[in-house]
Amino acid sequence: MNSAFDDIKEGDEHIITHRGFSRTDFVKYAGAGGDFNPIHHDESFAKMSGNESVFGMGMLTASMLSRVLTDWFGATSVKKYAIRFKSRLWPGDNVVFKGVVSKIYEEDGVKHVDIDLSATNQKDEVLIQAQGTCRPWVPQ
Amino acid sequence: MFGSPVALINPPGLPVERGKIHEFSNAIGDANPMFHDEIAAKAAGLPSVVAPPTYCATQAFFATPDQAKVMMELGLDLRFVLHGGQEFEFVRPLFAGDQLTPHQGEISSYTKEGKRGGLMKFVDIYSHFTDQNGNVVVRIKNTIIQTGGVVKE
Repeated sequence: MNSAFDDIKEGDEHIITHRGFSRTDFVKYAGAGGDFNPIHHDESFAKMSGNESVFGMGMLTASMLSRVLTDWFGATSVKKYAIRFKSRLWPGDNVVFKGVVSKIYEEDGVKHVDIDLSATNQKDEVLIQAQGTCRPWVPQ
Repeated sequence: MFGSPVALINPPGLPVERGKIHEFSNAIGDANPMFHDEIAAKAAGLPSVVAPPTYCATQAFFATPDQAKVMMELGLDLRFVLHGGQEFEFVRPLFAGDQLTPHQGEISSYTKEGKRGGLMKFVDIYSHFTDQNGNVVVRIKNTIIQTGGVVKE
C-alpha cells in the first residue's frame, strides 16, 4: 500500500523541523489534547514552581515526533510508539525531529520497520528519545 | 482541581471525532490529508479519517479526569511532577467513528535515586482501550515521575 516500505534500508533517515515554538503552540495543544496542567500555560504558576517560564507538554513534542513515522510510512502504519522524555521544550526553541531505520524484519509475513527517533533543540539537547515500529496496514 | 468542574466518570464508548482529530492534527502542525480529509481517506480505502498515534493520549486524558486525584493518592506533588514516558501499542489504527472505552489497568510505583541526588518517584499507569466491537485496539503505559520537592514513600 505504501511504497516507503518497498525500498527502505537500515540507516535511512527522515527529518522534520519546527522553528520557534510559542506559548500559543502550547495552548493550542492544551485545548486539543486536554492537558490543562497550569505549568504549561500559566506563567506565574510555572515561575512559582521554580521554572523560568511555562514549558511545552512532553506529549506535544512526542506528537510532533510521531509525524516522522506517519509522514514517512503513512497515517495507518504505526504499530508501536514508545517515548522517553529527556529535557523540556521552552518557548522559542527550534527543534529537529529525526527518525533513523534501525531494523527491518518480517513478522507473520508482513514487513516491519523499527525506527530510532529523537527530538533535539538548538543547543543539541535531546528533548525526547523514542522507538517506533511501522508496518503496512490495510483494512481487513 | 484546575477551576471549573469536570465529569468524574467518563462515559464508555467515547467517540473518536473528525472535528477533534482535525483540531488535534492542526495543534501538532500536521497537514496529512488522511487526518483531515474524509473524502481522501475513503478514496484510500479507509473507513474515515485516521487519528494520529498520540491522539489516544488525549482520549486518555479525557478518560481519567481523576488523574489529579490518582496523583494525590499516590502522594505526588503536582508542582514537581513530570511526564517520564509513554508507550503505545496499536492493534489497528483508530478512525473517526470508532467508539472507545478506556480500561484502567495496573498502577505500579517505585522510587529511584536521582542522578543529582534525592529520591525520584516513578509511577507506571497501564491502560487499554476497547472499540465498539469489544476488541482491544490500543494498549498504553504512562510513566509519571516526581523529581525534587518532598518525595513521599
